[in-house]
Amino acid sequence: MNGVKVLLFGAAADRAGVRQTELSVHSGVTLGELWPILVDRYPALVPMRDTLAFAVNGEYARMEDAVSPGDEVAVLPPVSGG
Amino acid sequence: MFRIVEESIDVGALVTGAFRPDCGAVATFVGTTRVDESSGASVEYLEYEAYRPMADRKLEEIGAEIRERWEVGHVSIVHRLGRVDPGEPSVVIVVASPRRGPAFEASRYAIERIKEIVPIWKREVWSDGYVWVGSQVGTRSRHEGRNTASLR
Repeated sequence: MNGVKVLLFGAAADRAGVRQTELSVHSGVTLGELWPILVDRYPALVPMRDTLAFAVNGEYARMEDAVSPGDEVAVLPPVSGG
Repeated sequence: MFRIVEESIDVGALVTGAFRPDCGAVATFVGTTRVDESSGASVEYLEYEAYRPMADRKLEEIGAEIRERWEVGHVSIVHRLGRVDPGEPSVVIVVASPRRGPAFEASRYAIERIKEIVPIWKREVWSDGYVWVGSQVGTRSRHEGRNTASLR
């Protein structure tokens, strides 16, 4: 067990009330498996689920992609730059 | 040149920086803060945040996509973060090409791609609360989510 750094942005940070947290995971856990651990800590994120994208180490990732201790996971609401 | 900055953008310098002897056209797109009004309230300013350095890399990717698709001599994209007051630029795109077609098309492409793939978020701060654009999250309870359908 070791930590994955989770960064939250925009509306997700707003709802969760934090911009960064750390989750203990086994190596090889998928983003899809990480999500329930995250929302267990921050239930206010649940309604956003279908709108969110995720990045692992700075690149867009799919829910079936694996993360390892030491990775950086970003929770990305719909982007709205410009 | 692809940059994310926290200070005001010198649009004139970006435009003249694109002038080249092999290009006869320079197209510029500038996105600025617009004051929306509804139900007696109005937008006071916008506030932007980004996931860096991913956002910086995505701007560079857009530049690479443009060079694959069009013959261009110069591409600059600068996006501002933090508070941007009404009438001030939040994003500036400058494309130079030998003839006008690619410059117009590529500058349009750049702003559309920014709104698709660059991890930057905008919060509208109204006189009666705020709204994260694109998400139904904010403190304007009467109007929350008002912009979602039109912007996503």
